[in-house]
Amino acid sequence: MPLLRRYALIYREYVNNCVAEALSYRLHFVLLIVMDLLFYLSLLGGVDFLFQHLDQIGPWNRQAFLFFMAFMIAVEHLHMTFVSENFWAFSHDIRTGKLDFILLKPAAALFIVFFRAMRPATLLLGLFPWGLLGWYGSQLGLLWWQWLLLPPLVLLGLALLTSVEILISMSMFWLVESMGINFLRMQLQQLSRWPDFIYGYFAQKFFGLAVPVLLVGSAPVRFVLNPHDTSGLLWLLGLMGLSWLLTAFFWRRGLRAYESASS
Amino acid sequence: MAGTLKAEWHKWWATVVINWRRLLAYKLNFLLLVIGPVLVFFFIRYQVWAGIYRLEGVDTLQGYTFEQMLAYQVWVMIVGFLALGFNGMNLAEEIRLGRISSYLLYPFGFWPFQMASFLAFQGLQLLVATVTLLAVWAMGWVQLQPLALLQGFSLAACVGLFWFQANFVIGILAFWLEETWVLRVMLVTLSQFFSGALIPLELFPKALAQALHWLPFPYLTYMPVKVFMGTYTGSLWQAFAVLLLWTLLVFGLARVVWRQGIHNYTGAGI
Repeated sequence: MPLLRRYALIYREYVNNCVAEALSYRLHFVLLIVMDLLFYLSLLGGVDFLFQHLDQIGPWNRQAFLFFMAFMIAVEHLHMTFVSENFWAFSHDIRTGKLDFILLKPAAALFIVFFRAMRPATLLLGLFPWGLLGWYGSQLGLLWWQWLLLPPLVLLGLALLTSVEILISMSMFWLVESMGINFLRMQLQQLSRWPDFIYGYFAQKFFGLAVPVLLVGSAPVRFVLNPHDTSGLLWLLGLMGLSWLLTAFFWRRGLRAYESASS
Repeated sequence: MAGTLKAEWHKWWATVVINWRRLLAYKLNFLLLVIGPVLVFFFIRYQVWAGIYRLEGVDTLQGYTFEQMLAYQVWVMIVGFLALGFNGMNLAEEIRLGRISSYLLYPFGFWPFQMASFLAFQGLQLLVATVTLLAVWAMGWVQLQPLALLQGFSLAACVGLFWFQANFVIGILAFWLEETWVLRVMLVTLSQFFSGALIPLELFPKALAQALHWLPFPYLTYMPVKVFMGTYTGSLWQAFAVLLLWTLLVFGLARVVWRQGIHNYTGAGI
């Protein structure tokens, strides 16, 4: 418990710093909000235009499909707020040797590397994705226990997406220029924005098991819509655990390979 | 006169060669940064459309058979290779940290330097696009018509020029803004959606599709794609004229922004 409290206090300091920094550049702050809104609207708009010509795609009608999109937007909103900035900083730190200073700090380096930066402007948009989720959820007539499941399932989707991305980021230790890895991460996010049944057999297997980004939204949403369908969630939990083990392994190997450019 | 031209040519060529070396120094990074996103974008589009046609058992969607939709998405990928550049990505950092001071000392203007870098990048992209095109042609996904190819490549070159100027002007806004990548992402998001890169404009609501013709977006993807496919029914001259007009507008804006910006520039770190 004291350990958790200690890390909560460290995180509070990081949040305070990020808020102070974000408020120093007000125009950038506002532009970030506009950018996120445009992104969310373009995601929903694309699907909405498709359903003007179709009644159903696979097992889902317009409401179910847009509910899935809203779920993914909620996951990505939290991801963009609390996690995504850190990956860009990690690549920069390895290249410039700034990682040295993080390794010297009296706290778990993995925690500092992946949770030190957040984007307060995006946090302000929180009502939008949850409002969407509520709107499309109510159109599907969700029951009270299905509503209760939504927040933990969004967090679970976020945890899987973040775990997979952290594992992929370990490759930055071996690549001198890692901007491309961050672009690869963003491509994987794009893949996860469509339900798994859209993809062909091999793509479903590869992105559902080897790089399990398709489970981020598809497994939780299927579970909400049909609580008997637990297989996706079990895979999600199992593969997330595996990714943590692999991250721990590659983190240690990566640190050994790290050349520390500044020293 | 000939000597001056020769000296200019040497500067441009040297910049192009240096940029080729820089871009290809980290080959995996180049692959992931430049080629990867366009390929993944195509992969997702392919999967989504194949899924829609397969799951719903539809033969045509707003006049597109699956084969035509696949060809459309292939050409979107080719236009993406030919037109979307990455220049201006580091401009904000270079301005903020005062690094452009060294460029200002070069015996080569800042805009020509950026332009030569852009041409180097486009040269590589042309190679990637050609190899990709030959591969998809061999698979029978697209048909190649010499005249359509010539017109399409020309139009895509104009789109590339527009993107270069747009990225340049956004980059030099860093004279006033802390970060400019947000503006770039906003423009890319808007253009991907409204240019028909995600879904063809025929699937848009009619009123919106008509309104879009007053903006540059359809000219950035939809029209070059239609020209490549040989199904563009509008005036080609008008498409060129509109694109060049927008490019000139952004070029003029860039000149004004540069002049004002360089006037304000304090050269941090000097």
